[in-house]
Amino acid sequence: MSKIEEVKAHVEKGKSKIVPQLVQEALDAGEAPQEILQAMVDGMGVVGDKFSAGEIFVPEMLIAAKAMSKGVEVLKPHLAGDSGISLGTCVIGTVAGDLHDIGKNLVAMMLESTGFKIVDLGVDVSTEKFLNAIKENDNVTLVTLSGLLSTTMPAMKQSVADIKASGLTGFHVIVGGAPVTPEFAKEIGADGYSPDAGSAAVLAKKLVTA
Amino acid sequence: MLTKKQNLLETMNGGNPDRFVNQYEFLDIILEAPLRTRPQPGDIITNEWGITYSWPEGQLGPFPIHDDEHRVLKDITKWRDVVKCPSVEFSDERWAPAIEHANSVDRDDKYVTVFFASGTFEMTHNLMGMEDAMMALYEEPEYMHELIEFLTDYELRYAEQIIERIKPNALFHHDDWGGQIASFMSPDMFAEFFLEPYKKAYKFWKDNGIELIVHHSDSYAANLVPHMIDMGIDIWQGVMTTNNTPELIKKYGPDLTFMGELDSGVLDHPTWDKETIAEHVKKACETCGKHYFIPCLTQGLHFSSFPGVYDAATEAINEMSKKMF
Repeated sequence: MSKIEEVKAHVEKGKSKIVPQLVQEALDAGEAPQEILQAMVDGMGVVGDKFSAGEIFVPEMLIAAKAMSKGVEVLKPHLAGDSGISLGTCVIGTVAGDLHDIGKNLVAMMLESTGFKIVDLGVDVSTEKFLNAIKENDNVTLVTLSGLLSTTMPAMKQSVADIKASGLTGFHVIVGGAPVTPEFAKEIGADGYSPDAGSAAVLAKKLVTA
Repeated sequence: MLTKKQNLLETMNGGNPDRFVNQYEFLDIILEAPLRTRPQPGDIITNEWGITYSWPEGQLGPFPIHDDEHRVLKDITKWRDVVKCPSVEFSDERWAPAIEHANSVDRDDKYVTVFFASGTFEMTHNLMGMEDAMMALYEEPEYMHELIEFLTDYELRYAEQIIERIKPNALFHHDDWGGQIASFMSPDMFAEFFLEPYKKAYKFWKDNGIELIVHHSDSYAANLVPHMIDMGIDIWQGVMTTNNTPELIKKYGPDLTFMGELDSGVLDHPTWDKETIAEHVKKACETCGKHYFIPCLTQGLHFSSFPGVYDAATEAINEMSKKMF
């Protein structure tokens, strides 16, 4: 197994103490930083797919994301200029009136691992906050709204409508959360829906690279 | 006509119930029993464990706050220094309303029921935040075992008190083990950390007069059912439709009764209507059948978030009893 393959395999297994050392060894062996990063992104892709398929669970996804994050810390100084993977900026938050954060956090982690810069607005996020974040951040390509309560679905609908009507462009809006269905997402004008964090990353990448 | 208790037992034992057990009718839950401070709508409170909860006005329930300022346990290796167990002893005055309520229950008809929340898993993430609690299961397993044991001991000490005071016959125990479509952790990890502590706790309750353990987890948890049976749960309340309950009943029916199948998220909302509830009740009763099944909203207490929903479900279940029995 090559050093790069080892990095990928250990990200998938969530070995956050080993991955930084493996990344350093790969760099020392002359591997290109960009390729090492891509291996970690691919590893997280496998993690996302396994999560979507019910083969792994929340703890495994969390430790994998942590392992990648530790690897990226080592890699960062070697990723000059724009040689990192960038799918743009994702503004993410749980909609107004809803304080659930677990699902939103998992999605944010997966999106970050895929190559988005994350602007996490937290929970109970008003439409105004979403709009301000879109305006204030560069290269926003994705806006992600999460909601876990049936009672906050009207807030999600309103936020999507207001974001779409704002005149701001250049991004896709995706939604998710327990009560959200593909039909509801379509009805409120979202550009996409996914049922879990793994497939959210796949969907987001597909949308922004289309 | 069978009493509520008899009808429940016939349902659970695969015997001859004369109607559907209707939601929580067989439990008389003694909510007056002192346990810990609970927020009311609009409140932000810090309870006896130091956990801060916010219940925004107009929302369905409270949420623990886990920012850096409020999270109780930021480093699991320091849990012994940080986590302080609240007292389980309360004055006679605090117990009086609970005792009065318990004494008023016809125990031939209903179970005098202890309400216990939050369970050990919920307590770990209430104290630490979900991400830290979940990662610690991998990164600091020994400390997590210790914390879980500590939380279980707290439950046992509380159990001693309430058993002495109200002599309950049933336990209604909350601990959500999953989301809508998956359990939070794998069955193996669940077994490694939570099975034995729960076996210990539920054995203690049963050794001390509890005849019936009803566990609430309004989630997917079909993959945890063998562990539920192993730990001594009699009824899983909160089973959502995502679990394929009819299949679970076929496979595990004699060992566990399934209570739910009426997803509160779908039925209990501001624009609810009786017809939709009746349709869901009909489908639940017809697909799950008369044995090992209790049609019930998945909400973890005997009421709904929006007035009228619980009663509409009760009424629809009564109608299905007339049709199917």
